[in-house]
Amino acid sequence: MDRAIIVDHLVKNFEVTEKEPGITGALKSLFSPKTKQVHAIRGISFAIQPGELVGFIGPNGAGKTTTLKTLSGLLYPTSGFVEVLEYDPWDRRPEYLKQIALVMGQKNQLWWDLPAIETFELNRAIYEIPRRVYEENLKELTELVEVEKLVNTPVRKLSLGQRMRMELVAALLHKPKILFLDEPTIGLDLVAQQKMRDFIYEYNKKYNATIILTSHNMDDLIDLARRVIVIDEGRLLFDGALEELVGRFAKEKIIKATLGSEDNIKEIEKIGKIKKISFPEVTLSVPRSTTAVAAAELLQNFPVEDLTIEEVPIEDIIRKVFKGELKQ
Amino acid sequence: MRKYWQIFKISFQEEFAYRLNFILWRVRNVFQILLTFFLWSTVFVNPNTVIFGYDRAKILSYVFGVMIVRALVFSSRAVDVSTDIAQGDLSNYLLKPVSYFKYWWTRDVSSKALNLVFAAVEFMVLYFILKPPFFFQKDIYMLITFLLSVIIAMFLYFFILFVVSAVPFWAPELGWGSQFLMLIVVVEGLSGSLFPTNVLPTNLQSLVLATPFPYLVYFPVQVYLGNVTGLDLVKGIFIGIFWTFALMFFMNWIWQKGLKVYESIGR
Repeated sequence: MDRAIIVDHLVKNFEVTEKEPGITGALKSLFSPKTKQVHAIRGISFAIQPGELVGFIGPNGAGKTTTLKTLSGLLYPTSGFVEVLEYDPWDRRPEYLKQIALVMGQKNQLWWDLPAIETFELNRAIYEIPRRVYEENLKELTELVEVEKLVNTPVRKLSLGQRMRMELVAALLHKPKILFLDEPTIGLDLVAQQKMRDFIYEYNKKYNATIILTSHNMDDLIDLARRVIVIDEGRLLFDGALEELVGRFAKEKIIKATLGSEDNIKEIEKIGKIKKISFPEVTLSVPRSTTAVAAAELLQNFPVEDLTIEEVPIEDIIRKVFKGELKQ
Repeated sequence: MRKYWQIFKISFQEEFAYRLNFILWRVRNVFQILLTFFLWSTVFVNPNTVIFGYDRAKILSYVFGVMIVRALVFSSRAVDVSTDIAQGDLSNYLLKPVSYFKYWWTRDVSSKALNLVFAAVEFMVLYFILKPPFFFQKDIYMLITFLLSVIIAMFLYFFILFVVSAVPFWAPELGWGSQFLMLIVVVEGLSGSLFPTNVLPTNLQSLVLATPFPYLVYFPVQVYLGNVTGLDLVKGIFIGIFWTFALMFFMNWIWQKGLKVYESIGR
């Protein structure tokens, strides 16, 4: 098997009932409901190899979560082809479900009033994990996310960060080969975020697990994802290495110069957009196509001591992705 | 099978985690029994009164029979299912290699087991306080038939509940309303838990007896009391079984449709 996940021309529409504000609106929608088609996914295609860790990014409402839910068999695709581990996810066959996990940062499966260990025991039975394997996995996972002392505490008494890590343990006890992570670090403090990232990295390496991760957290993507898929308004905008994202979407380059004197420093804005001046350092942003000309002009007309040309930082591009500012 | 045993155990524990909730539900049950008891006691205050063929002893036997049958048939965890659908928590189960129906059936059975224990205690306490003229069925054959009719009733209730719970697939905001209408108004009203179905006029009675509802409470209680025998008994059992299967197929059909439009919301 050379493809863990195949998605081909996937389309998913939702029917949404619209309601005007107020009581009259409520009455109106009761008697003549107005429905609207929402095109959550408008034909996206990609394939993922076993063991890949892919970042799935886009602005809110781009269709990321919908895609993950379709891949894990929760949603029925409107049209298109989806195959995960050679299964049709929608069939929800036990053999398939035993190999996947979907972790949503804002949804939980732990039983609120019982200690987490009870949910773990329940999952052991549901996933039919042999007792010995279960004990090993439990020990390993709880140690990895450092919650081994908390498994007997009722879930409602755990902090959000502790609970999220417990959720992860519950979702991974059956050692899924495919992991769909939807905003795994949402709401966590910085230390907990880092622990979560380390864990995801480890899990991917150790078990050669295929992981798709959606996140609005810059560090999640930069630390973890070698490959990113960018979607917006249900369409695929980019699929490739994280570094290539810059070359593909950055319309500008950054020139950093160290000046010898402050003479006619005002004139410098004619060359490019000034991002920052703190003498002797000047940072300019110039269009990609005219970078060389701009650099030459700078060298000719200003007392330049040192000059470097850099790509726009990856963070800037990702930020644009989140804002939905990347267009084809 | 082992997975469902585990579900049974965790479900049992959870009921204890919600101790107060559980107690309040039992208190509600006791009040309902007291209410019905005193209502009928007042109606039959003159020992010679006979209404709709019921005298004081018969009607009070009926009321106490209802108490036990209710505990078995109506105690259910699956009332949470419609909320699960409306809030997207159904996803948790759809992601796992477990049958959603069997999962909730198991939880229901654990809830019924627990409630039966409490209902038995309440029964004894109320029995000694109120000293009603209760009829103890000694015929083993009738007891077995009673058990069968209760099992049919439990399945019937489960399927009715799942059909009603499917409403939020299409109208998430109607979950609570449809459940209230169906379970509190229709089921309570027609099942025989407020009044025996045979106090109704004959026409209405045969109409109601053709619906699945009286087979939830009225019919099993009547079987226990030995009021249904012979052909009527066989007929009743068969109508009950017919509705059980009809509702099961309907439930499967409507859930298949529902899962296709399920939006897994909540995020």
